[in-house]
Amino acid sequence: MTRAWILLFLMSVLGCTQRDDAPDAASTVLIFKHGRLSGDERMLTGLLREFERRHPGVTVREEVLPSSSDQQHQYYTMNLDGGRAPFDVLSLDVIWVQEFAKAGWIAPLDDLPPTIRREDFFPGPIEAATWDGELYAVPWYIDAGVLYYRKDLLERYALDSPRTWPELLRAARLVLDAERDPTLVGFVWQGKQYEGLVCVTLEVLRSNGSDLWAGDRDRAEEGLQFLRDLVWTYKISPLSIGMADEDSTRLLFGEGRALFMRNWPYAWSLLQREGSPVRGKIGVVPIPAFPGFSGVSVLGGWLLAVAKHSPHQKEARDLIGFLTSPDVQRRMAMELGYNPTRIALYAEQTMLDAKPIFKDLFPIFLSARPRPITPYYLLLSQAAQPELSALVVGTKDPRDVLRAVRRQGDWLLPRLARASADGEP
Amino acid sequence: MNRELACRDHWAGWNVAAAGRNVCLLVVVAMFCLGPLGWQILASVKPDEELVRLPPLVPTRLTAAHYERVLFHSSLVQALINSAVVATGTTVLALMLGSCCAFALARLPIRGRPMILGAILMASMFPPIAIISPLYLTMREMGLRDSLIALGLAHTVHALPLTIWLLTVAFRQLPRELYHAARVDGCTPLKALLTVVLPPARPGLAVAGLLTFIHSWNEFMFALTLTASDTARTAPVAIALFPGLHDIPWGDLAAASIIVTLPVAGLAAFFSRHLIGGLTAGSVKG
Amino acid sequence: MKVADFNGQKSDGPGWNLSERIWGYAFVAPAMTLVSLMALAPIGAALWLSLRHRLPIFGVDEFVGLANYLDLLGDERFWATLRTTLYFTGLSVGLELPIGLGLALLLDALTDERTRFGRLAQTVAIVPWAVPTVVSAQMWLWLYQPDYGLLNYVLARIGITVPIDWLADPRWAIHAAVIMEVWKTTPFAALMLLAGLKALPWELRAAARVDGAGWWDGFRSITLPLLTPVILITLVFRTMDAVRVFDAVYVLTGGGPGNTTETLSIYAYKTLFQSLQLGYGSALATAMFLISAILSSFYVLLLRRRMRDTT
Repeated sequence: MTRAWILLFLMSVLGCTQRDDAPDAASTVLIFKHGRLSGDERMLTGLLREFERRHPGVTVREEVLPSSSDQQHQYYTMNLDGGRAPFDVLSLDVIWVQEFAKAGWIAPLDDLPPTIRREDFFPGPIEAATWDGELYAVPWYIDAGVLYYRKDLLERYALDSPRTWPELLRAARLVLDAERDPTLVGFVWQGKQYEGLVCVTLEVLRSNGSDLWAGDRDRAEEGLQFLRDLVWTYKISPLSIGMADEDSTRLLFGEGRALFMRNWPYAWSLLQREGSPVRGKIGVVPIPAFPGFSGVSVLGGWLLAVAKHSPHQKEARDLIGFLTSPDVQRRMAMELGYNPTRIALYAEQTMLDAKPIFKDLFPIFLSARPRPITPYYLLLSQAAQPELSALVVGTKDPRDVLRAVRRQGDWLLPRLARASADGEP
Repeated sequence: MNRELACRDHWAGWNVAAAGRNVCLLVVVAMFCLGPLGWQILASVKPDEELVRLPPLVPTRLTAAHYERVLFHSSLVQALINSAVVATGTTVLALMLGSCCAFALARLPIRGRPMILGAILMASMFPPIAIISPLYLTMREMGLRDSLIALGLAHTVHALPLTIWLLTVAFRQLPRELYHAARVDGCTPLKALLTVVLPPARPGLAVAGLLTFIHSWNEFMFALTLTASDTARTAPVAIALFPGLHDIPWGDLAAASIIVTLPVAGLAAFFSRHLIGGLTAGSVKG
Repeated sequence: MKVADFNGQKSDGPGWNLSERIWGYAFVAPAMTLVSLMALAPIGAALWLSLRHRLPIFGVDEFVGLANYLDLLGDERFWATLRTTLYFTGLSVGLELPIGLGLALLLDALTDERTRFGRLAQTVAIVPWAVPTVVSAQMWLWLYQPDYGLLNYVLARIGITVPIDWLADPRWAIHAAVIMEVWKTTPFAALMLLAGLKALPWELRAAARVDGAGWWDGFRSITLPLLTPVILITLVFRTMDAVRVFDAVYVLTGGGPGNTTETLSIYAYKTLFQSLQLGYGSALATAMFLISAILSSFYVLLLRRRMRDTT
């Protein structure tokens, strides 16, 4: 009996490892590695089948990774650093393109299909995907930080949606004092120790005419102070903001327990769906600014690139051309809610009818700024995250945090540049 | 021998006070162990809009939507089969190799025993995140990427140290005469191991097997790296595919966690008989 | 070889002994081969990497000897994460072991009554260990939510109305992680110890488990010494696992707030897979390995003395 089980087990193992891809000699198998998309995954599969029909002899095999950015970065770097990677086309977070290009892991896309022209896309992601004058990745979908607000609550007190941080503070104070609802908070954002916190910080500092690793020190410090004061002085953000990520803030805001929220556009359709307590009561505006400056959203989103050593360079480019074509982007926007990277789509009436929110998002995407465009971005961000988190939970003051972050930047960048020069063959 | 007698003695000592105390303790244990999971069960049948509302503690209406999505609209079922294959294979292999090795270490006159035990322990002491890269690249070179074999082997290696150490101790606790008598009777060491050593060591084997199975069933880092498609992906990785870039489907996750935990709980129930069964066998020879 | 090996085993004649030894090597060989190929070789690769500067983004790949380790000594973040790791390990193992032992004794008593009840209890006790870490970490994340988490709700119900910010409060976060770890891994300890208890001779356990005044003395003088090898093994494996804890804490806190929960392996993970300092990351991993090795060899010394005493 036991022996039979073992036999069965061995057989199933062997059976499971039989690859079913034994392709006919003429066909090229493209492996497309990407993070899982939200919504129905059959949508993308259908698109890939359509690509195969248009390109006879090419088969696309999808390999899906968890959508967690960290896990994808781990998978890609492990594979690409270890020689010929087992995939041809990959999707990249906007902050990785420089890094991957510099490491020589992805191929420059000089001979793209003529349908891809840089000027058709939003400038932010194109800038982030250009390294050494060449384009290394094509924007697939775009993201940018926005401010959600409770239209109904602001209207109740005859308030306009805030354009500056002081206006936001005033509005939050007024509404909180008047509502006297202990479960209502003023402003939620991402304060956990992770990349999201860096995005929020960049938005606050840039809307004060400075930046995190560069720019005017006093104004940067002022921005950091503001971030900390939101929790500790103005008390319009709860203490729990120190562990908040995108989804926990979305859930809180979605329960009608917050007046303002900084988040990505993904939250919109979830907040507006049937049964949501805030359905029809919310609005979206650009990130506020300090008086005298204009608000700047941090750019997010994903791009498509070709692995450097892929033997199917041409087919891979065709696939990227197909996936970023207006037609496919339109369908991904309509059916999955992904924001297109092509500017022209935001002017189409059918699109705007189906997705009125695109009218609000368009100017935000157009002016969104990438995070520092450098191959060393992750190094910088990783070093800054603990400092920023300590700021939010009140264990470090803004001056020390700024000094530490700037020191890391000043120390890391020249040192790394030198190491890089030494390492060049 | 006098098992029944001993049992009867024991029953005599089983009085109301002890029973009451044990029941109280048990309630505490059950709350500690099952409380968080009970919350998961509730979450798995709550409609989405009630997930982040508290009170009410108990959902106002029940829904099977999460289970339906998880079972019929995700790759979890295929992944559960993969997990079962990998975990079973790992357990069988680890017990086979582990009991041989442990037996040699416990009872046979080999040299370098501390070194062997040390080397085996070392293998499980190095943080997996640092060896995953070289291991994966080797597997890739050998063409074992995205296969259950690679994953099973990796899990076996990481389960072996515990198995070997646990069984070494278990074998040592058996009376030495057991083995010697078998040898004098003309058994080879292999036959002696199978016939007289393994049966009374059943509690140890059951625990080692159960722990190995659970380890393999739940392991994430190796599974994430070594598998790539539905054909080889195991349950924890399939669950890691549920969340979108920012949105986490809490209800689906809760349902999936129940579905993934149930088989293991069932297995534990099955193994628990052997835990007790071993006692009987041990007492006969003790 | 000597007639007596390290635990004093007598051989019964030279010829027999030789074949016994060959059998012994044959028994050890398969496991050792697999372990060498699949674990020791990658470990060797990682050790080699820790002696190099390897930064793929910069095209740097050179042998630097112990430079990475020297950098480690001057790295504040390393020392901070080391402290966190040791605190986390000490606290969680220190809690798991007594709780696990208590649980094991309870289960032992219950299962001896040979009722279904006992087996049910055993199964229930294993459940937390059976929940995959990917899920259990998310589960605790949710339980700890200050706004809609169960924990604060229950605490409020029993009169503790000041809500605790479990994960956002730098003083609480590491303890929240410990609670999660204890919940998850106590069953492992309990199961190991239960197996150890079951392997003890029946009469001894019966003698040690007499209710009343003599119980504690019986436990201390009979059960505990016999159980020591298993306790030590449990300690070794639990310590090793706690030192390299990763997934659970990473999902729960990401190392925050203010890096208060960043353990060595989270730091190593970020260094290896986020900022891609492969050499330095490997050195961090090696440091973790050394810490585990030091702690374990301490236990193993105890264990060997104990085994020599008892067998």
